[in-house]
Amino acid sequence: MSLLDDPQGALDDLTRPEGWVLGVSVTFLLFLLVALLTGALGPTYFLFLVGLAGMYALLSLGLNAQWGFTGLINFSVAAFFGIGAYGSALMTASGSPIAGGFNPLVGLVVALVVAFVLALLIGIPTLRLRADYLAIASLGLAEVVRLVVLNERWLTNGSAGLRGIPGFFAGWPVLSTFPEAMPGLRVEVIPGSPVILETAFWQASLNVLLVLAFAGAAYFVLRRAHRSPWGRVLRTIRSDEDLARALGKNTYSFKMQSFVIGSLIMALAGVFYTHLNLYVGPGDLDPITTFYAWVAVILGGSGSNRGALFGGIVIVTIREGTRFLNDVALPIDPAPLRLLLIGVVIVAVMRYRPQGILPPQRELIWPSAVDRGGTPETPDTGVREQKGGGDDE
Amino acid sequence: MTVLGYLANGLVFSSIIVLGSIGLSLVYSIADFANFAHGDTMTIGAYTSLVTFGAVGGLGGAVLGLPYGFFVALVAGIAAAAIVAVGTEKLIYEPLDVDSIGLLITSIGIAFIYRAVIQIRFGSDFTRFDLQPLRPIESLVPYGVRITLHDLAIVASAVVLVVGLHVLLQYTDLGRKMRAMADNPDLARVSGIRTKRVKLWTWVIGAGLAGAGGVFLGLFNQLSPRMGFNLLLVIFAAVILGGIGSVYGAMAGGFLIGMINQLTPFFSTVVEALPIWPGWLATALENLITIEYANAIAFLIMVAVLLVRPNGIAGEGAT
Repeated sequence: MSLLDDPQGALDDLTRPEGWVLGVSVTFLLFLLVALLTGALGPTYFLFLVGLAGMYALLSLGLNAQWGFTGLINFSVAAFFGIGAYGSALMTASGSPIAGGFNPLVGLVVALVVAFVLALLIGIPTLRLRADYLAIASLGLAEVVRLVVLNERWLTNGSAGLRGIPGFFAGWPVLSTFPEAMPGLRVEVIPGSPVILETAFWQASLNVLLVLAFAGAAYFVLRRAHRSPWGRVLRTIRSDEDLARALGKNTYSFKMQSFVIGSLIMALAGVFYTHLNLYVGPGDLDPITTFYAWVAVILGGSGSNRGALFGGIVIVTIREGTRFLNDVALPIDPAPLRLLLIGVVIVAVMRYRPQGILPPQRELIWPSAVDRGGTPETPDTGVREQKGGGDDE
Repeated sequence: MTVLGYLANGLVFSSIIVLGSIGLSLVYSIADFANFAHGDTMTIGAYTSLVTFGAVGGLGGAVLGLPYGFFVALVAGIAAAAIVAVGTEKLIYEPLDVDSIGLLITSIGIAFIYRAVIQIRFGSDFTRFDLQPLRPIESLVPYGVRITLHDLAIVASAVVLVVGLHVLLQYTDLGRKMRAMADNPDLARVSGIRTKRVKLWTWVIGAGLAGAGGVFLGLFNQLSPRMGFNLLLVIFAAVILGGIGSVYGAMAGGFLIGMINQLTPFFSTVVEALPIWPGWLATALENLITIEYANAIAFLIMVAVLLVRPNGIAGEGAT
């Protein structure tokens, strides 16, 4: 089913929505390419946008592991994102009120550990609750986290936020000096409008590589996990928790595992954001971040990892597109326009396509079982043993 | 300020929370989902009355420091909130083919749309009603109570509305049908109640009360497009504390949460004054029980109630 082996066959295999998404994506990419070549879109800014899209994709992947896999309505995405961002910023920033000045890798580890602890703190009380109570409780706890970050000045520098954050690759052997070492390039595709690539561009491309690494790793881990016996238990819990319990599964433990994994991925998005934006403030914990991630997931299709990637790109388009519109055409404040678009997308998806644009279909089946058409093969080695040993609890 | 002063402030704030929480609880039990657009329904009421009051002006005389025109504006705010809510129910919620979780997510989208429209029209800045700020009532100041006639008007109007709702629920046909539907929608339907119509009336009453709450919130503080959304979680805390689906529970919960919210500075002086705590605990409590964390305390109470007593303090209604 590889695109390279059999492009025609791969295209025929697509469902209609998949075809649409592919078509729109290709058109959008072409449009961006033209904008890049003509100089309408600065290459550094473009890479910043790609980084942002990757960040939202990470957030959506994390939320997908909770809502899409297990059906947990987690409205505390912003808290985990913010904790990840603050965790790494407090460790690495020169202006940090506590430690500061550590290697970004230390910041990454600290952020993940703090997010892990927070996931347990939020998860232990709330995961036993009914779905709608979980939504309200997690939103409330996220607000508590935001208020703490806002008010504990000795720890977080309060509303002033944290500045002086280094790039993620500061202190690495080659990569820390890579942007400066690269020569400034001058690319002239269309005569008269040269595109100049400088240090900032190389810095941004490093960031893009970083987020691609994060998102790619998260994507493959989650895809693998979703198809595994573990993922099947989660899907059972999502559709009927009592059934899962009747089958002898400790649903609370499974829910906690999926909650923690999702939260760690969200924190990873926060870590990346810290080193992309180089500034972190309490505004980053605003609930709107939570709902951006939610829009990405329900638009892409709950439970669908590639849907989450697609949703992340749509979110950035809405976020930055409204800013662009404001600059170019409509003199409407971009903030409420963005809010309006997000609201309309939520309502429209729930009204016309509650399952999302790219709902999980073949994603959930072992590819070997589909392609050969015959008896499904035993999955790769390791799964069976895992099932015997580490599946239950 | 004295205890009495804090209690008086708490009473005023509670009145607003109670108005919000009744509507949320009614909709939660009869339309069967957590309506995240409820806070922004309050904002709609507030801004409608702002515009109406600007248009009609004072209209001569005044009651409790509020000109007659303000009461016209209040009614307009209530009506606008109710109409918008019914329109949303008809256009959006009713045709949806999703479960209560889907409705919850949809209501978030609705909340954003409401807020965005208000923000596009009025900007994101704070505004106030065009009323002369009043001095605290002189005769109460010696007791440490610093409330204005406006605050009294808020409490009085809230009491009128709550008593009116009580009469409606207990003594009218519609009230009986609503209670029947909250109890068991299927049974209500087979016994011949037109559930769709009752549901619409629920939206009218719930959103109308929310609209009134929004107007009073604007009078108590200021108006901003985020005012309702910021209050939403506090109202959820009140509804959950009182027990979802129980209107009287929502009243009690709203009263308690409003009081706790405004009494937080008093609690912190109590903690400071009491010598019984060991040193580190006292310092920790002093840092945490401050006005900045007033909302956070309400949210923690909410989570605690959900864990320990999910049916709320009233212990009825929740199914």
